[in-house]
Amino acid sequence: MKPPPFDYLAADCVEAAVQALAGAGGDGKLIAGGQSLMPMLNFRLLRPSILIDINRIPDLAYIRDDGNEICIGPLARHRMLETSDVIARQFPVLHEAMGYVAHLAIRNRGTIGGSLSHADPAAELPMMSLLLDACLVVQSLSGRRTITARDFFLGALTTALEEGDMLVEVRLPKLPKGTGWAFEEVARRSGDFALASVAVIIGSDGDRISDLRIGMMGIGETPMRALDAERILTGQRYSEATVTAAVEAIRAAVEPNTDLHASAEYRRHLVGVLAQQALARAWARLREATQ
Amino acid sequence: MTEALPKSATASREAEELATRPKIVGASVKRTEDPRLLTGKGAYVDDRKVPGMLHVAFRRSDHSHALIKAIDCGAARDADGVVAVFTAEDMREVNAVFATSRMKNYYATPITGLAIGKVRYVGEPVVGVIAQSRYLAEDALELVDITYEPLPVVIDPEEAAKPSSALLHEEANTNVLCSREFKTGDAEAAIASAAVRVSGRFRFHRKTPTAMENRTYLAEYEPGRDELTLYTSSQVPGIIRDALSDAFDMPGSQLRVVAPDVGGGFGGKASLYPEEIFVAFAARRLGRAVKWTSDRMEDLAATSQGFDQIVNAELALDAEGNAIALRAEVIGDVGAYSIYPWTAVIEPVQVVSFLPGPYKIANYLGRVRGIATSKPPTGPYRGVGRPTSTFVTERLMDMAAQRLGMDPITLRLRNMIQPDEFPHRIGSGIIWDQCAFTECLNAACGKADYQELRARQAEARAAGRWFGIGVACYAELTGIGSRISVAPGMPINTGTETAKIAIDSTGAVTAAFGVTAMGQGLETTLAQVVAEHLGGRVEDIRVIQGDSAAVPNATGSYASRSAVLAGGAATLAAQEVKEKIIRAASHLLEAASEDLVVEDGKVSVVGTDRTLTFRQLARAVYLEMGRIPADKREELTSTKTYDPVFGTSATAAHLAVVEINPDTYEIKLERFVVAEDCGRLINPMIVDGQVHGGVAQGIGAALYEEVVYNDEGQNVTASLVDYVIPTATEVPLIDVVHIEAESVTTLNGFRGMGEGGTIGAPAAVANAVADAVAPLGIDILELPISPERLFRLIESSKNHKDSSHGHET
Repeated sequence: MKPPPFDYLAADCVEAAVQALAGAGGDGKLIAGGQSLMPMLNFRLLRPSILIDINRIPDLAYIRDDGNEICIGPLARHRMLETSDVIARQFPVLHEAMGYVAHLAIRNRGTIGGSLSHADPAAELPMMSLLLDACLVVQSLSGRRTITARDFFLGALTTALEEGDMLVEVRLPKLPKGTGWAFEEVARRSGDFALASVAVIIGSDGDRISDLRIGMMGIGETPMRALDAERILTGQRYSEATVTAAVEAIRAAVEPNTDLHASAEYRRHLVGVLAQQALARAWARLREATQ
Repeated sequence: MTEALPKSATASREAEELATRPKIVGASVKRTEDPRLLTGKGAYVDDRKVPGMLHVAFRRSDHSHALIKAIDCGAARDADGVVAVFTAEDMREVNAVFATSRMKNYYATPITGLAIGKVRYVGEPVVGVIAQSRYLAEDALELVDITYEPLPVVIDPEEAAKPSSALLHEEANTNVLCSREFKTGDAEAAIASAAVRVSGRFRFHRKTPTAMENRTYLAEYEPGRDELTLYTSSQVPGIIRDALSDAFDMPGSQLRVVAPDVGGGFGGKASLYPEEIFVAFAARRLGRAVKWTSDRMEDLAATSQGFDQIVNAELALDAEGNAIALRAEVIGDVGAYSIYPWTAVIEPVQVVSFLPGPYKIANYLGRVRGIATSKPPTGPYRGVGRPTSTFVTERLMDMAAQRLGMDPITLRLRNMIQPDEFPHRIGSGIIWDQCAFTECLNAACGKADYQELRARQAEARAAGRWFGIGVACYAELTGIGSRISVAPGMPINTGTETAKIAIDSTGAVTAAFGVTAMGQGLETTLAQVVAEHLGGRVEDIRVIQGDSAAVPNATGSYASRSAVLAGGAATLAAQEVKEKIIRAASHLLEAASEDLVVEDGKVSVVGTDRTLTFRQLARAVYLEMGRIPADKREELTSTKTYDPVFGTSATAAHLAVVEINPDTYEIKLERFVVAEDCGRLINPMIVDGQVHGGVAQGIGAALYEEVVYNDEGQNVTASLVDYVIPTATEVPLIDVVHIEAESVTTLNGFRGMGEGGTIGAPAAVANAVADAVAPLGIDILELPISPERLFRLIESSKNHKDSSHGHET
């Protein structure tokens, strides 16, 4: 379990990192926290010609309130998100989810840029970026562009990032005050990848459900939104019958994998249970906030 | 104290008494090794760095079962930093090692450093690359070209037992490496006529010990003297020394095997490994120090595994709930080789040997077969066989209680061997000395407030919650002496241990043992025993362990033996040195022996201020010639060997409380109580720690851990992401009640206790889970019971009910 030989560059600015990435012609890898990349190197699953270390680039670890959005730098560590007042205030659902990200030692090192670029289908941050309609700012030699989270996750460990791209910022549009929310997850052990997880944010228009988003993970190749269930519930009064219909829609829509820890059937069962719990909890929080 | 505590003694009073007990043996002395181990100052094998040291990486088989047709090492030999590349061909001068046994129907497979001619499991070492660094060695591994001819995969033990199966060892002419039968009375007839019968096909899945420190070996060689020293993270340096002596035809005086600080073993470091043979061979061949440090992937692929059994068992009782017969057919999946020195027999035979457990069952029939498959060899793993036997018997007890409508505690107490019925011979032939079966069960129930738990369960069930209570009782043999072999018919002596105690000319006390510490605190407990019997201070006693050169014959630490055997030897040697101290002091202080007292590292004349410290005494004995007449001068040393002859037992009752989420099927352990009897306690705090650790491992066996080989023979649990072990968040608080029923058969009344936690916990957790889901009509017959397995059991029972009685939730 030693990595194959590689060249190493400690980049001092984003431009240098992007330059080196382009120079490697697809064989380069950016390293930030290294919490997924290092094991993959040690298992010799990856053989990059060059490792471009971005840890020493200044000013990439930030969480900033830009008025309509919260902007997060790619080197913001998981622990920074977990303990950020700004995140706790603006996105309590993200704050809660961060506690489920692996273990403290990993949260101290792992970064949001690394987690999103790695795109594990059972990791919390990709699902959160989808739930919170994140815009991902990407930089390459040809400049900056923005990809929405919806367009970003293409498959397991596969993203819309192209060869010379570096993720340089994550922008999360703020939610209306009083938005209800919930995060539910089942894993084998505390800190393990989710067997299934569901997150909900929910608003109301009078006594009817509005602005509903349901995010799911661990049940497919990418994190997903439960769009059918969202449609079933939006505009309706919250009731057991509509929630049941939504849960059925979710179970019908997902196509989970079977692995060592859970079968597709168990995951399908779980995602329904978690959706029901998350909807109930999010609705209760919403009512509490709006009363 | 010479008698067992009455069972009325409350646990808290016991705990208080134990904590404040003034004696050295029995006091919760803080572990003297901890400042070193906990601040990163331990010296493990991998910490040892020698000038010019080379590093090994193994090219391991990626085939489950295949002939090796050709190996091309040319490119690897030419690679950067590579010093040598060896195959089995290069090791022809090294003798194969065989785990022989006098047992009938047993085949001993050859154990070699590298695979010869064929490979028998994925992960078996085939080629060793030696380079200037591990990085370079691993780079060169990829250049080794091995041509295999695949053979049929032999992965399912029941299939492998059939005559039609492909053979792993053609010379054996079968994959059944061993078979045995134990019989008392007529179980078949008793079962046929019994009022109540319960049975099941029980499955305990394969585990791996996962010590925190991976196995690491460093061989240093002195060409001028042809002397080889192997530093090994082993529990059994003495056994390794003797085995290497056979492998290399070298006398023990030129071979030294040292286990320095060892980071956990759990049995996984208690056997001889091919990598140990290889590293020693390479160092001698190259005349240089050679090190191999296992990585986690190698540890999961090639360290001995355990607990892999299928047990078809049936228990018969009369209408009043008296057990009358037990019948069991055990299939042990022992992997590809018969491990040295324990043999492939050790675990499956333990299962049938211990199945009757603490119960009076007049008729017993136990049959066992150990079947070779294309997996790493099984070896001793904490509990060895008894986690499985306890799981089976204790599940059967609960199933019987349910059938009879009896409380499971009442049923157990009725069938247990009662305090006045010892010694008792169980159906497999094991004789229990004085075991605290009923005392432990009563104490565990008392501590947990069993009646209150049942009341809580009734409330929980009424509210639709799944709440379960499970108990498990067992006994194990510990501190086994020379009349019983740890494994049947094994040609090595596991029944004695030696202590060598010396006071040197500075007055310092050194106590050397053949046993080994793997983190369990032996350095402290042995110092306590020496201090007690010598009259020294714990902190002044330097304990040397794990060095084959320290005592003439030693094996190591395994089978819950070190406190009993090394503690016994320490007692005898310390007593003799103390007698010498008194004789010397009698001269020096001009006092009668009976007026002298040795305490706290000093000898004093009672009632006076005349005192000699050990330092003063030692100077007088060794340096200040003339103070003691030459013919009265004695070296202040003693070497004693202790043999408990038959050894003793240890007993416990475990009680687990679980709550299962009826929607997600997550299993949460709420509480765990252990009432255990390890005889006279040396250090209650260390015993608690051992129980906690053992229970945590047992919880892993019950809920999480499973080594999985797929149909191609590939290990699909090859990392700690997929081989799931419990962490602090999955282990509840564990209450421990000590029943100090001193053993009458061992010196000091000690009983062994290193393994027990792992023996009781799986069964207790299984029973608690089964109890929680009992209203659904589900039995738990397979461990680990994961949420996934529970989901499938519930779904299939739902489907079953749907088709018969309609839906039930």
